[in-house]
Amino acid sequence: MAQTTPRAAPVVLRLEGVEQLYDGKIRILGPLDLEVRDGEFLSLVGPSGCGKSTLLRIVAGLLRPTGGVVRLRDRPLGGVNRSAAMVFQSFALFPWLSVVENVAVGLEAQGVGIRERLKKAEKYIDLVGLSGYERAFPRELSRGMKQLVGLARALAVEPELLCMDEPFSALDVLTARTMRDLVLDLWASPAVTTKSILLVTHSIEEAVAMSDRVVVLKANPGRIAETVELKALPRPRRSDAPAVRETVDRMYALLA
Amino acid sequence: MTRRLSRSLPVDLGLVAALAVVLLASLFGGSFLRPYDAPELEPSPALLPVYLLRSLARLGVAYAAALVLALAVGHLAARSPTARRFILPTLDVLQSVPILGFFPAAVGLFIGVFGGSALGVEVAAVFLVFTCMFWNLAFGVYESLLTLPEDLQMAATQFGVRGPLRWSRLILPSVLPTLLYNSLLSWANGWYFLIASEIIAVGPARYTLPGLGSYLAQAVIAGRHDRTLLALGLLVATTVAMHLLLWSPLDTWAERFHLEETGDHPRTPRVARVLGRSRIVRGITRSLVIPLGQQALGVAGRVLDFVGRHGRAVGILVALGLPAAMAYGGYGLYGLFSGRPLAPEVLGLPLDLFSSFVRVSLGVVLSAALAVPLAHRISRSPERRATAVAVIQILASVPATAFFPLIAVVVTWGLGMNAAAVLLALSAMFWYVLFNVVGAAAAIPKDLVEVARGLGLGGAGYMRRVFVPAVAPGLVTGCVTAWGAGWNAMILCEYLETGGRVLSVRGVGATLARATYVTGDMQVVAASLASMVLLIILVNRLFWGPLYRQVAARCKMEA
Ligand SMILES: Nc1ncnc2c1ncn2[C@@H]1O[C@H](COP(=O)(O)OP(=O)(O)OP(=O)(O)O)[C@@H](O)[C@H]1O
Ligand SMILES: [Mg+2]
Repeated sequence: MAQTTPRAAPVVLRLEGVEQLYDGKIRILGPLDLEVRDGEFLSLVGPSGCGKSTLLRIVAGLLRPTGGVVRLRDRPLGGVNRSAAMVFQSFALFPWLSVVENVAVGLEAQGVGIRERLKKAEKYIDLVGLSGYERAFPRELSRGMKQLVGLARALAVEPELLCMDEPFSALDVLTARTMRDLVLDLWASPAVTTKSILLVTHSIEEAVAMSDRVVVLKANPGRIAETVELKALPRPRRSDAPAVRETVDRMYALLA
Repeated sequence: MTRRLSRSLPVDLGLVAALAVVLLASLFGGSFLRPYDAPELEPSPALLPVYLLRSLARLGVAYAAALVLALAVGHLAARSPTARRFILPTLDVLQSVPILGFFPAAVGLFIGVFGGSALGVEVAAVFLVFTCMFWNLAFGVYESLLTLPEDLQMAATQFGVRGPLRWSRLILPSVLPTLLYNSLLSWANGWYFLIASEIIAVGPARYTLPGLGSYLAQAVIAGRHDRTLLALGLLVATTVAMHLLLWSPLDTWAERFHLEETGDHPRTPRVARVLGRSRIVRGITRSLVIPLGQQALGVAGRVLDFVGRHGRAVGILVALGLPAAMAYGGYGLYGLFSGRPLAPEVLGLPLDLFSSFVRVSLGVVLSAALAVPLAHRISRSPERRATAVAVIQILASVPATAFFPLIAVVVTWGLGMNAAAVLLALSAMFWYVLFNVVGAAAAIPKDLVEVARGLGLGGAGYMRRVFVPAVAPGLVTGCVTAWGAGWNAMILCEYLETGGRVLSVRGVGATLARATYVTGDMQVVAASLASMVLLIILVNRLFWGPLYRQVAARCKMEA
């Protein structure tokens, strides 16, 4: 897990002077620089409307920034970021595809044969704990289960970088906590090859509980206000541990 | 069916001009309506299945073409704002133009293209049917793609779902429910026009277009009521069978393609709700539709991806061809009107238009007066509504044009040609009003009904204070569509030739028919088509559009 990462880890993804304007004049983001290191769990927090989702879309290659460059291991990103996979707040599952078809859809798009993609899909459905639900349709699942499908679908393409946009905010508190633990377990598990995670959240507690590093954004336009290193904070992090609480308090003060 | 009114008059007029001119241009090819020795249809009832198949084949070809093009065009309109600006007004014009009026022109064009062979008539009929099916499907595709959640589209993009896979996994599934519903309407429309064009072929135009419609027309002309009834029975049986064997199984399958988060759209009433319980429908759904459906989506995805990739070339071709055709047609039109004085028929057009206008308006008023109370009765309980909607929908998909040759019979009863014309127009118009009102009535919130009950509003009070205001937007939409359908009916029912006898009333439809089939005066054809289209568009823009906006603003249900 995090401790096994070498000290000066290479960079998976780097944003250089990235900015986003609407209508050529309304600046909603940047310019900002950001990097995601190999094996790192990085969180972005900030007030609503500060451009977190926009930033994540830029990283995923779904939105071309109006200025600056995105580099994947030093190669500038042209179109969709194939080495990233996204988990959506709204789940964004295909309602007409079964669980296994949803999980396999990225592999199908890559042209992976049916046998192999079913095998892989099974593996990740199993890892998120949804075995037995392969043939179910999204509408038959609870919200928590839907997001598990979303997670399995993203992991199944074995991306270098996992992007998650407020993945737990549409879930109830208990389900959200279970999901957080699951993500951390999977991140640590040798069965999952994806080791770099970029999480967008508006919950400071969530960011502190999960990340190696937290980038705090401020609004109008979205800029980096502060970067907080949490590598030294021991895991597992219980929310009532003094060190964790002290960190959370410090970050609240930063944001205020 | 009519979903939009509005937008700019100049764009519409330009498009109408383009459409009229392109089709009229074809009239000058010289081959126009030169009646040739069309053989009589073999009247043996044993051949009826063959005629039915020929009619079905025309419809099938037109539908396949309309479907592919509607998907490509609707998708393009949803994706590209530039394309949207041209596509939407074009569809809008297509839905308000009396397509039947252009049939003779289309026949002329395609007979010219096919070197005078009977294939030209076939293609003209298919083209006509295609046109009336297309706009409705394209609107459906466009509108359902607008409601496709952005996150889902982004997820597809992120996971590399593109090309044929994007069609089969994202776009087709998301438009399927709407597409099916609109297909039903399109087929009903298609039948209507196909039968009409077959009847025209037998009646004044004398072309070979063997099919159920021409068989019907010929039987009526020959006064063989037994054959007429047989053909009508076959037509009704075919429509019912299509619901049972095709639409309902497809619809049952399509249930799974409904997006979850579209609760704001009242679900369209569907025949499948009722028929879906039948064993035949379930059997077909399970054994045929579900296994074949996925394959079909895959194949369709590949076809549409291919079409989409070559769409740009087609667009450029159209963009270049249209102005050229317009110039050619404009030149022809100029010659038509500058070369000689105006024909007396042209001078009589205002009065013709007025008579037809009165007939169509009467049809609209009668339709509304009948539909509102009936819808009220139907809507009193949900179960009754589901059954009634299924029955009505099947009834409505029996093409009213099949009954048009019966004008002759009605007139011999002594009802007079005027009454017969209005009656037949009504049979084409009434359904649109009824459907829209029933749909609107289904969306009346239950709370509102209960509150009205609690306040002691019953009978007339309920009608006046709750029901009529609640269904008013649907009523207007239905009336607009009926109004368009009424003009199409005029073309068919104002002038009829049966066995040497001519039955006609004064009207623009009659003038158009006489000019195309009897005198062959192109000036009159051009002038009556143009003035009719102009009148329809003007009334749509100046009356129905504002009326709809006002009614919608005042009577819209707040969510
Ligand atoms: N298409 C657009 N046109 C104009 N402004 C936009 C557009 N899309 C987003 N914005 C603006 O960009 C800003 C950033 O939006 P974004 O969704 O990235 O914020 P966010 O940090 O994810 O907010 P939240 O926490 O509410 O999800 C917002 O102020 C939003 O209004
Ligand atoms: Mg956001």
